[in-house]
Amino acid sequence: MKFNNLYRVAFILIVLVSTSCHHKSLSWKGEIVYSLNNQNWENKIDLKGGEVFFTKTEIEIVQSPVEFQTFGLNLSNTFGEFEIFWDGVLIGKNGNPGKESKSTLTGAMWRAYKIPNHLSQKGTHQLVLKRSLFHAPEYTGLNAFVSDYDYLLEHPLIYTAFMHIFAGGFLLAALYFFFHYLGNKSEKTILIFSSSCFLFFGLILMEFIRTYISIHYSQHAIRMEIISYLTFFIAILVPLYFSLQFSFPKQKVILMLYTGFLIYIFYRNHQRYDDTSYNMALTMWFFSFAIALHGVYKKYKGAFIVLLALLICAFINNISYFDTSLFAGFGVIVLGMLYILSIKAKEQRLAYENSLLQSTRLRTELLKKSIQPHFLMNTLTSLIDWVEEAPDKGVLFIEALAAEFDVLNQVENETLIPISQEIKLCKSHISIMKFRKEVDYIWEDEGINENIKQLIPPAVIHTLLENSITHCLPSDENKMGFKLIAFTTTNTQEYTFLTFGKIRNQQKSTADGTGFKYIKARLTESYGEDWTFTSEATNEGWKNTITIQK
Amino acid sequence: MNILIIEDEIRIAKRVERMTKEFFLNTLKKITSVQSLAEGLEFIKTNSLDLVLLDLNLNGENGFDVLQETASGAFHTIIISANKHEALKAFEFGVLDFVPKPFNKERIELAFNRIVKKEEVGTENLQFLAVKKRGGIHLVNIEHVNYIKGAGVYTEIFLTNGEKELHDKSLEKLSQLLPKSFERIHKSYLVKTTQIKEIIVKTGSQYAVELHNGEILPIGRTKYKALKETLFN
Repeated sequence: MKFNNLYRVAFILIVLVSTSCHHKSLSWKGEIVYSLNNQNWENKIDLKGGEVFFTKTEIEIVQSPVEFQTFGLNLSNTFGEFEIFWDGVLIGKNGNPGKESKSTLTGAMWRAYKIPNHLSQKGTHQLVLKRSLFHAPEYTGLNAFVSDYDYLLEHPLIYTAFMHIFAGGFLLAALYFFFHYLGNKSEKTILIFSSSCFLFFGLILMEFIRTYISIHYSQHAIRMEIISYLTFFIAILVPLYFSLQFSFPKQKVILMLYTGFLIYIFYRNHQRYDDTSYNMALTMWFFSFAIALHGVYKKYKGAFIVLLALLICAFINNISYFDTSLFAGFGVIVLGMLYILSIKAKEQRLAYENSLLQSTRLRTELLKKSIQPHFLMNTLTSLIDWVEEAPDKGVLFIEALAAEFDVLNQVENETLIPISQEIKLCKSHISIMKFRKEVDYIWEDEGINENIKQLIPPAVIHTLLENSITHCLPSDENKMGFKLIAFTTTNTQEYTFLTFGKIRNQQKSTADGTGFKYIKARLTESYGEDWTFTSEATNEGWKNTITIQK
Repeated sequence: MNILIIEDEIRIAKRVERMTKEFFLNTLKKITSVQSLAEGLEFIKTNSLDLVLLDLNLNGENGFDVLQETASGAFHTIIISANKHEALKAFEFGVLDFVPKPFNKERIELAFNRIVKKEEVGTENLQFLAVKKRGGIHLVNIEHVNYIKGAGVYTEIFLTNGEKELHDKSLEKLSQLLPKSFERIHKSYLVKTTQIKEIIVKTGSQYAVELHNGEILPIGRTKYKALKETLFN
């Protein structure tokens, strides 16, 4: 990888890469200083590995160092073990050329070497490496430039320090959201986000590890492999995240095609690590952009911000070099991802608060059933009449009333109760209504099994019963019948509530009445969308069916 | 007396019926009890009535639609309802009384007494006079009323815009319902006191009022003193 020197100073000249090479058939003049004649240099060299050869190039220094300034030679991304000769003087050593197979691995690929002051004056200088490439004979290239020596040492450290602050942010985000995920394992998007942050943290770490750990050229490929795998997984996770947030048609097929294409890019020119990473990042960008564009079209919340983030990312890529664009670009994308998470978190919080409010409302609704004036005052008026006219019956009436209040009190705080309890509530209501309306109400039930779990939100059948009593007339024999049928399978629970009576007003729909709203809200509270409720007139009276998916 | 009870609670209907019978005794000609608004409206159309006892909340239906219908009738309406908060609104439409549930004998007899003794309701809540017109019931805001003239069993309502409406209720019944701003100045006239410009004294102890719009209405010999007191105190 090239080291991008943003602050490259004008007076330093960089030449090279196309260098001249020479086999060890030259005359030596001691260990420290030697000169080369101009014969037998070639532009290309075939190496089998292990042999010592020379690489030569000329470097022009356009301005001499000022007082107390030292120049340094920077060799980056340069393979091999070598000794460095500057104008014939040995100025540095990187490993032991020619002894790589026998000695331990020493030397680094990125390093700066001090140039003696008397050799760094303005003018043309000669750089010669005595070099061996036992582990990678094909990498004969050489990247060299001259700059202020202090600058060459400091700059990579400063850059690395800043990038590590950046990486620390991603590590924190990764951990925070991972713990968040552990708290609620159903939130896959949070896990994906956390993983992306962690991979990105790893990517930065692997990229800049070379600043403080010497990487021998034989291990270079390991680092590059890790980097390209990290990029590969990021390129999978980021669009996956966006597709979960902004869904689009044929998602699975498109995601699989995308993954296939990414794998193709990953292996196509695998050894050209930088190009591979860049191409994968580019593919990821285009795919994410398409998803965000579709999201904006579909008016998904946050899609526009993500689109904007991707455009900023493209802009950064346009004005900067590879590394910067990769990291800054990823950074912006991750911010976009974070923004969606915060929107979703807000939505969830509001939905939760709303559900709490709704539950409280439903509880109040349930309590109101027994104290709303129409029920209570009519009951009390009837009760007074019974007490005045037939005190013994009046006592039974009071007992029936007590029974209904008792059951209501028991179920008041529940969101689901056994059907047997609901039947108890209905029966006590019927007893009260018998006294009030003087109609012979008959209750029947079928399929109730105490041994299996048959649940229902409180006062749902009770509400249907109230509706029936209000909207149906008794038969000519002054009778009205009700029948509750419970039908239980492994996956569903069905309740059919039948009323046998004459309907008062066929046209009048009760579907939007407060009673039905209560039933629907209660079912939603406990079962989300996994229920159906139908209500229709029949020849015999009225039929309500509630089906719950368990 | 011909009385109709509209109440869907059988036990309560029976109770009202019993108490009504006990109160009116042999003055009661006929008492009928129905359980739904539809039946009630049908009965009102086909029968001559003196009093309707109405529950406002019947079988989940809102009784206010019926209330307009009954308020425009020749008979008085007494509401018997569990929803006390609807009382004010009921009075706006011109009901004689609102008996909240649960009620006892004393309370319902208090309401019946208003009919027998022709007591004024003494409420300032009446807002509208419901009059039958082609195409339904029309609500006349009493602020737009100048005076009301008795015309046999009917009344004529004279409005500030010069128009005239017919009401089925007698002048007696309306004078019971109307607020104190209306004064009976003659056996055939109810006048809104704010509309009176001056009292004209004619020869032979004959009196009359001139309204702001220039109309002159007679003052009954027995009513003069009361009117003078109302106007000048």
